[in-house]
Amino acid sequence: MTAVAPGARTRRGRSGPRLRRAAVGWGFALPFTALFVVFLAGPVLASLLMSFTDLRSADVRNPFAVNIVGLRNYVRLFEDELFVKAAVNTAIFVLLGVPLTMVAGLAAALGLNSGLTRLRTVFRVGYYLPVVTSIVAVAVVWRFLLQPDSGLVESLLRLVGLDGPNWLGRSDLALPSLIVMAAWRNLGYQMVIFLAGLQAIPQHLYEAARLDGASGWQQFRYVTLPSLRPTLLFVGVIATIGYLQFFEEPLVMTRGGPLNSTLSVSYHIYNQFGFGNYGYASAMSYLLFVAIVLLSILWFRLLRSSEEVSR
Amino acid sequence: MKTWRRAGAVVVLAAMLAMTGCGRDDGAGEEASAPVAEGKATGDITVWAMGTEGEKLSVLADDFMRENPDAKVTVTPVPWDGAHDKLATAIAGKQTPDVSLIGTTWMGEFAKTGGLDPTPADLIKKEDFFEGAWNTTVVDGTSYGVPWYVETRLFYVNSAVAARAGITAPPKTWEEFKSAIVALKTKGGAKWGVNLLPPGSAIGSWQSIMPFVWSNGGDVATGGGFTLDSPQAVEAYAFYKSFFDEGLAPKDLAQATLEPAFLKGEIGAFPSGPWHIGVLKEQGGADKFQLWQMPGRQSATSFVGGGDLAVFKDAKNRDGAWKFVAYLSRPDVQTKWYQTISDLPAVKKGWDDPALSGDPLLSAFGKQLEDAKSPPAIPTWEQIAAAIDGEVEKMTKAGAKPEDAAKAMQQRATSIGTGA
Repeated sequence: MTAVAPGARTRRGRSGPRLRRAAVGWGFALPFTALFVVFLAGPVLASLLMSFTDLRSADVRNPFAVNIVGLRNYVRLFEDELFVKAAVNTAIFVLLGVPLTMVAGLAAALGLNSGLTRLRTVFRVGYYLPVVTSIVAVAVVWRFLLQPDSGLVESLLRLVGLDGPNWLGRSDLALPSLIVMAAWRNLGYQMVIFLAGLQAIPQHLYEAARLDGASGWQQFRYVTLPSLRPTLLFVGVIATIGYLQFFEEPLVMTRGGPLNSTLSVSYHIYNQFGFGNYGYASAMSYLLFVAIVLLSILWFRLLRSSEEVSR
Repeated sequence: MKTWRRAGAVVVLAAMLAMTGCGRDDGAGEEASAPVAEGKATGDITVWAMGTEGEKLSVLADDFMRENPDAKVTVTPVPWDGAHDKLATAIAGKQTPDVSLIGTTWMGEFAKTGGLDPTPADLIKKEDFFEGAWNTTVVDGTSYGVPWYVETRLFYVNSAVAARAGITAPPKTWEEFKSAIVALKTKGGAKWGVNLLPPGSAIGSWQSIMPFVWSNGGDVATGGGFTLDSPQAVEAYAFYKSFFDEGLAPKDLAQATLEPAFLKGEIGAFPSGPWHIGVLKEQGGADKFQLWQMPGRQSATSFVGGGDLAVFKDAKNRDGAWKFVAYLSRPDVQTKWYQTISDLPAVKKGWDDPALSGDPLLSAFGKQLEDAKSPPAIPTWEQIAAAIDGEVEKMTKAGAKPEDAAKAMQQRATSIGTGA
């Protein structure tokens, strides 16, 4: 009894201010909450419901006059030849693009962190510039570079006596070309993050390693990489999420062609929304969302758990 | 955890409530049009138009207001890029203008929403328009607008190359066409006799293959369904493909290389619409090309595209809107519109003016319009077109057989359906 009494008293005594505090708190949170519910949660929920119907653009005046098809949209996805093709393309893009970008970004960061002290700013700007350049401008420049007869790449190849192919016009080369371009475009961002991660590694670890006679490679392998684990996780997750939604490059460079070799899942979703297949496109979007969540979890498992195990 | 479950239950409940109202009505067939009141137009008329049409339409609107002093026309230019979605949103929200320009291939989709008003037969006469253009407005037997301007496709041919090849008269049949293209390459010195695929990508290649199908007596669909795998269609695909197999047509032309290569004589010919007259003039090729009509077999049919004008069901001033549309379809106004922004008249009498009939290049297009077709106005057309593009690409670049391409087109079109 005595134990309950103080609690009851405080509750009664403080209920006024607490209510007010809650009201103030909600008051501050209200602008965001309202915007979030109206412009994000609402449409997200609506599209989830849409994915279980056969809603098409012709139904917009009467959106409830549609048939509920259950999971049929999701089943149809796996019978859709183009979707399977797009999924494979996206998987290739992620599997090759993410490691390539990360290795290039880390290499650039290591270079800037150790050697090039004089021109560090110049290089930093140089590597970061593609990140802040509009994709449209990048696309135009790259199309010129890759032009079959007059492009710079072709001219360089000719200098060494090679005859360059039509990079974006061949179905076996278009996707690799876009992967290289995406890596070039995104490595600056990763470089900045890696640079911050590298500078946070305490110097005494390297001193200790050197005293133990560790070579440069051994220092990198046993000091730098383990210390960079959180940075790697962050960069990996961000890059994977970004590359899974691979869209701008094919849109402005190849329009998904030739022979759908650069069609990505996002591009396919975009097309399907364009065709007015709202229900089907929503189902595809949710599948992509699930894939992103699963791959992010995988990254966390890969990098976080081994850290905990080593402790 | 508990609150989440509760929230989930609420969501499911709300969804179930929302969906109990679901279920499609049976599709409506033909729709009757209501008559339009007589007399001059009155009140506010709001109009959306895209591209150059949107920028310059106020010229015609001013004339209209001089004839109808009690009417006030407000033109809102809309960029083509966002136009489709803007129209769809307007129809969904029932906040439409009175009149809008609508791309011919969108008619099926927007008519199907029930947002367009059927064309009043007492005001607009079907016979005044080119048949192929009129058919772009007809969905399930009902017309939902009028053709405003048209374009059709002819072959642009490099005159110097043609002269070297010894071609004096345009080819009339498929066989003559084929040997003419061969001559452009072998005798004319062109690297490629003809370019048939759009540069940069295969998107839109249906516009260059369908004229062959139509000319061979085939069609996209008949009353009974899609006929993309009919024997006539397969034969047309094989003819089209032969230009690629025999090295007469490039398989992958990079973007923005078509016109320079054509003017240099590296490409002998390519099919395109009237806008290429201007493009070639700009690049200094004003007198370096000639135009060929579509070569014939059963017929000599080309593709017709352009823009339609439609009045919305939710229009606030329906009668005024139709009167404005009828005004824009008057032959003299159509001619003035050509003089303003070079849009070709969809009304046959609009071509009587010497500005059009006196121009040999334009009258070639006018002649082709007499025999030009458009794809069926169905809501799913864009998607079917993309499927056709994909199969054409497989056939021309990856060497798929015409029979297989036909089968795949037919199968994909059937699974997409007509959206009915």
